[in-house]
Amino acid sequence: MDTRQHNRLLQPLVLVILIVAGVAFLAPFAWMLSTSLKPLNETMSLPVRWIPSVPQWHNYPEAIHGMGYFWRYAANTLFLCVMNVVGTVASSALAAYGFSRIEWKGRDKLFLVLLATMMIPFPVIMVPVYSLFRHLGWIGTFRPLWVPSFFAGAFNVFLLRQFFLGLPKDISEAARIDGCSEFQIFLRIILPLCKPALLVVALFQFMFTWNDFLGPLIYLARQKNFTLALGLENFQSQNGGTEWHYLMAASTMVVLPVIVLFFFTQRTFIQGIAATGSKN
Amino acid sequence: MHFPRPIHLCLLAAALALPACQKPAPPPGARVELEYWDKWTGFEADAMRAVVDDFNASQDRIHVNYSSISQIDHKLMLATAGGVPPDVAGVYSWMLSVYAENNALTPLDRMAAAARITRGQYIDVFWRMCMHQGHLWALPSTPSSTALIWNKKLFRQAGLDPNQPPRSIAELEAFNQKLTKWRPDGSLQSMGYIPEMPGYWDSLWGLWFGASLWNGRDALTANSPENIAACQWIESYPKRFGVRNLLMFQAGFGNLASPQNPFFTGRVAMEMEGVWVYNYIKNYAPADFEWGAAPFPTVDPARLKDVALVEMDALVIPAGSKHSAEAFEFIQYVESQKNMEKLCLGQRKFSPLLECSAEFYQKHPNPYISNFVALAKSANARYAPPLTNWTQYSHDMNNAVNRIWTGKADTLDALDDVQQREQQIFERRMARWQRLAPALTAQWNNQ
Amino acid sequence: MTRKERRDRRTGLLFISPWLIGFLVLCVYPVLSSLWCSMCDYSVLTPAVFTGAANYRDLATDPLFWQSLYNTAFFAFFSIPLNLLVSLSLAILLNFKIPARGLFRTVFFLPSLVPMVCLAVLWQWMLNGELGLINNALKPFLGVANHLFGSHLQPPNWLLDARFAKWGIIFTGLWGVGNAVVIYLAGLQEVPAYLYESADIDGAGFWRKTWHITFPIISPVIYFNVIMSLIGTLQVFAIPYVMTNGGDGPDRSLLFMATYLYQNAFDYWNMGYACAIGVVLFLIIISLTWLATKLSEKHIYYAGK
Repeated sequence: MDTRQHNRLLQPLVLVILIVAGVAFLAPFAWMLSTSLKPLNETMSLPVRWIPSVPQWHNYPEAIHGMGYFWRYAANTLFLCVMNVVGTVASSALAAYGFSRIEWKGRDKLFLVLLATMMIPFPVIMVPVYSLFRHLGWIGTFRPLWVPSFFAGAFNVFLLRQFFLGLPKDISEAARIDGCSEFQIFLRIILPLCKPALLVVALFQFMFTWNDFLGPLIYLARQKNFTLALGLENFQSQNGGTEWHYLMAASTMVVLPVIVLFFFTQRTFIQGIAATGSKN
Repeated sequence: MHFPRPIHLCLLAAALALPACQKPAPPPGARVELEYWDKWTGFEADAMRAVVDDFNASQDRIHVNYSSISQIDHKLMLATAGGVPPDVAGVYSWMLSVYAENNALTPLDRMAAAARITRGQYIDVFWRMCMHQGHLWALPSTPSSTALIWNKKLFRQAGLDPNQPPRSIAELEAFNQKLTKWRPDGSLQSMGYIPEMPGYWDSLWGLWFGASLWNGRDALTANSPENIAACQWIESYPKRFGVRNLLMFQAGFGNLASPQNPFFTGRVAMEMEGVWVYNYIKNYAPADFEWGAAPFPTVDPARLKDVALVEMDALVIPAGSKHSAEAFEFIQYVESQKNMEKLCLGQRKFSPLLECSAEFYQKHPNPYISNFVALAKSANARYAPPLTNWTQYSHDMNNAVNRIWTGKADTLDALDDVQQREQQIFERRMARWQRLAPALTAQWNNQ
Repeated sequence: MTRKERRDRRTGLLFISPWLIGFLVLCVYPVLSSLWCSMCDYSVLTPAVFTGAANYRDLATDPLFWQSLYNTAFFAFFSIPLNLLVSLSLAILLNFKIPARGLFRTVFFLPSLVPMVCLAVLWQWMLNGELGLINNALKPFLGVANHLFGSHLQPPNWLLDARFAKWGIIFTGLWGVGNAVVIYLAGLQEVPAYLYESADIDGAGFWRKTWHITFPIISPVIYFNVIMSLIGTLQVFAIPYVMTNGGDGPDRSLLFMATYLYQNAFDYWNMGYACAIGVVLFLIIISLTWLATKLSEKHIYYAGK
């Protein structure tokens, strides 16, 4: 059998596998949605049914009410996401520029150190960082959750540096000859060329902050300061049996914004990943 | 897209950071706002809120804000360690020694003495639970004791006298035999008694066998002969009924706070429960439910009479609270007889105070409330050992009992395991206490 | 150094100063502090007391620590290869010229966007012994197997059964491969098409092309993903924590190293001991990363190097 016939057979097989896998991957979402619209007794019934007898749309407002400060949690989470995105993009872009577009002694050795820091697991530094914030009096406030983002995390610097390295050297050279300072080159020339990569960093950071659980768990004390992730966990662990329908409704509402955001930005997002991954 | 200038970004960030800035200090002479965290929800929370509202209405210098907090043991520790504790907190009695010895609480000795609150005013066991290393750390809010609860109708159906509950473990098992029914396919339909219903106190079964988990001085006694006897009693269940049968039976238990509570649906005829069981019965049991309450059976009723596990909710002032004097004023208010009775009546429990009005008992809806009070006053009213490593110890004991229950380990291995591990942890804590005692005691004496 | 070199260095350092400050304050200081703390007995609200290697000695004889080590190793051992297999396979499949590629890509990426808590809560429900979707999907298959072999297999009560709890967490993790798939896809699209074309002319089939062309070229991407995976799985904490409502699973089968660290730090008032666990975790990660790098050095192909 020649390769072309082989390939023609492969194509439909691949499609079938992908469809089956796709259904398996989407099933939990469908299940979450289905449970969120059932009355409690139907969530507990066997055999399993996908379509609720009567969709209980009121589960959603009731779940919001049951969570207590739902809208406050959403506002808190949004605040943290914005702060973290601003901090991360600004500081990572600056650091990545320093590691890639300027030649200076010791640059590459220091970059190896940066790479090494990606191996440090959060649990190792968790306790001392907690103590540090305690001495600063920041426990219970939002500061431990957004101030660190202004200090450039290794992963984002790495990502952006990859991208910066891919831009031709001559544009910087030309600007230097014209008498621009490095900072002007950074701001006026390099940054505008990086929008997809910056968007990737921004999106990754937004999603990470939206999802972050451990940070809010140990740094926040007052219930009204909680984030959505923490509020959801609080909702789950209230005494009495778990009210799966409310929990799934609340989860759907927490997942939705991220999915919507992704849909609107996905083309640039994939572009950006491809661009940053290209040079290794 | 025009990329915003850095200066704009900084201004934006600063503007957004404003909500995170601290509020300015309140002017002197203003009302003190107190944060009060407690574990209750539902009508129990309403009972305390009523007292809080009374306190707020009775004066205008202090305002208490009540919050219902889930998993309060975790959250309180995090907040206190982080330096941002609430001003008043309601904790479980078994947390007191752990928190006290870790310097997480404000000692109340001086303030209680000044307010003339003394040991003699309380049912003794509750005052003792508030003391640790010679200092007073808390004052009781709502107490509880545990008793044997049984379904009188099922007793009658099995030919047992509904007013004669079992008094010894042997009798309990004899009744269990009579009340347990099997299905034709070999599975359990209903049981007379199953220790895992409700299974809240797995670490403390030894109490009804004359055991304690600590010798009071330097050694833990997880594998003492009495504790072994207690766990062998637990072990007899999977041996008699089969591990799988028991797990299947338990899997069918409905939510305890619902009409599907197996005690109400007749699947379990006897259980050990706390004084709050009355609320469950009133809200979820069928209208014609007949029940009784009596001391839980012990291994030797002649020697071990009226053994009950006693617990309480306690009010504490976490260390680092900025308004301890005002916080204590609130606690003092709750401790007064009138308010305490209002709170305990609202939660359908009994009062921890020795002096109790006749009206309290008249109004009380629980027909067996005096039984529960008598158990709390009994010489054999016991509570969880006041050990600093109690969190780990109870966790370990629960795990050991669970392994025994599911047939993964036999009693001796499981208990030896716990003993060895916890004894070492206990010794570490003792060493830590030896090192820190002088400094801490000096600090506490001055507070 | 010339003046220009000095000036360039100053500018360079200025640009990376946010990272540098963060590195010193949030990296160097905590690691050193953790090392110090691990040699103390410290319960947050009482002063720390230096005790030397006492915590490490206790760790060596602590059966719970070894259990957490075993649980973490088990989880990593099965999770990393499974994730690699599934994500790479999906990426290769998605690289074919099939209709609605964009749609498929989205479908597989979507689950990795789900917040951790939602994921944990959702899968806790999916893995429910009686009512969960997984078991209800498995029942017909097990029924057929029982019929054919006369066995009495029952779907396990995942999170409540010590033998299956970790597998439940591993499967939960598989749902989030989308991240890795996208990175592999980007790498796959970098493979020059002419290589495939000349292989086609030589008569190479799908498997030979994949083995001899695709894998070598994307080996750096595989390496990167495996290292990230390694670092991530060894620190697993949030998902099992939420799925067990803050506990450590049946018979402590979900007690991972990070879980034990968190318990000691924030449940048992034992921060020094927690730091010791952290230091050990750190050393394990470093050694495994070094090992992985050494082992794969020969196999990674760097274009243009």
